[in-house]
Amino acid sequence: MTVAVAQARTRALGAVRLRGLDFAFSTRSGARLPVLDGVDLEIGGGGIVALIGPNGCGKSTLLRVIAGLLAPAAGEAMLDGTPIAGPDPRIGLVFQEPRLLPWRSAADNITYPLELAGWPTARRVERLAALAGLVGLDPAVTASRPSELSGGTRQRVALARALAMEPQVLLLDEPFSALDALTRERFDLELLRLWERAATTIVMVTHSIPEAILVADRVVVLSPRPGRVVADIAVDLPRPRTIADLDQAMVSRTSREIRAHLGDPDAGGEAEPGGRVHQPIERPPAEFAS
Amino acid sequence: MSRGAWLSVGAVFAVFLLAWKGIVVVTGLRPFILPPPETVASRFVGAWTDGTIAPHLATTLVEVALGFAVGAGLALVVGYALARSAVVERLLSPYLVAAQATPILALAPLFALWFGSGLLGKVVICALIVFFPVAVATMVGIRSVDARLLELGRSLRATRRQILTTLEIPAALPNILGGMRVGVTLAVVGAIVGEWAGADRGLGVLINLARGSLFDTPLMFATLLTIALVGIALYLVVVAIERRFVGVR
Repeated sequence: MTVAVAQARTRALGAVRLRGLDFAFSTRSGARLPVLDGVDLEIGGGGIVALIGPNGCGKSTLLRVIAGLLAPAAGEAMLDGTPIAGPDPRIGLVFQEPRLLPWRSAADNITYPLELAGWPTARRVERLAALAGLVGLDPAVTASRPSELSGGTRQRVALARALAMEPQVLLLDEPFSALDALTRERFDLELLRLWERAATTIVMVTHSIPEAILVADRVVVLSPRPGRVVADIAVDLPRPRTIADLDQAMVSRTSREIRAHLGDPDAGGEAEPGGRVHQPIERPPAEFAS
Repeated sequence: MSRGAWLSVGAVFAVFLLAWKGIVVVTGLRPFILPPPETVASRFVGAWTDGTIAPHLATTLVEVALGFAVGAGLALVVGYALARSAVVERLLSPYLVAAQATPILALAPLFALWFGSGLLGKVVICALIVFFPVAVATMVGIRSVDARLLELGRSLRATRRQILTTLEIPAALPNILGGMRVGVTLAVVGAIVGEWAGADRGLGVLINLARGSLFDTPLMFATLLTIALVGIALYLVVVAIERRFVGVR
């Protein structure tokens, strides 16, 4: 089994359509806390969309609705024309933290989804080699436990695991936010190279405007809670992109536009060159966490 | 263990033996009160070679093994239910705590009355005494399974059974084995107490015989030594299982 090499952006599969999506957490006292309010979003197969918004705006919740982990209160989420009714093998999910099983080796973490799906060992081993190559994982470390790996390597393992079932859509929830700035930049560019080969649709939640611009075709800005789409900004940078692209005047303009929609009072200013916004993790308040 | 570690273990044991011998020499206690270590050692070897201890040991080991298996097995199921259901916890925990708080010594004669002086009564006592620590450890272990890992399992469409076998059990295993370390040593206590209350064979019976009918204090010490060694051996078995299955994380 090899990883499909397809023409990016022209794929028919992996199209996500969200229509009038509402979501609310119920508090312990029984009150409803609206988190998403009528989110409409259409993502073509093979596209890359970055979701950006203030803390607590429901970005992660939106990602979990697309992943089928949370059911919307109203509206619908569709993948290639069929409603997303629950976790789906066509969707791969990378969490903010690597979320590896500490008692398994890196290899066994990567093939965990295949094991759950009942793949025989021989096929799992074969697929493991392809996946390690795809995410640039040194084959020598696959026998190691997660605790013996660096943060970056752990997230590579998590990425390989998300790609194990050859998903049409890859959802990433601030995947590189725990990494240092330089490593993060490198991972963003590696993600783009991976996308060119694996050709999945990518939806990435991020806090960093430069990261959003570097990676995405479109940057979707969400309002403070309850989250709505307040802007959908095209990033007009040619691909393949490099880190030098972030220095263009167009990037500053796009960055300013995104900031304006985020309600940043300093929106008139320039984007810091290569500036990386490292903000605290966005989470629903503890009492709503499921 | 390294050579140095073994040496220090041996040194501490030598100090223990010397202190024992010293007490005997200084106080002049007679052997039927406190026999010196060399008397106990020779009685220990003698009782083993003439076949005095072996049949009693075999009986006790069977009681411990069966009692532990039954008690720990039930404890795993109940501990899981306690962890995952608030209703089960509310309804059952008073009885569990009460059963644990009642001295096993007080229950042993009752069980002897109900189940007779054979194997069954001892298995029940062992199971009862093993149950509580293993059930509590299982409950704590299952509750402490990282909810984020469970979400991962859900996102990968793991079945209930797969969540149990690939996430919950491995994550709770260090806790569960910690409870079993306690449980396995308590199982030995349970078996001896049960035999004390009425039995015709077992290490507890042998202690009674040595003390009462035979008036053989060195044999009593040799039996106590055997019981202690059984406890240590069983404990080490659990530790070895832990090394094998939990290892470095």
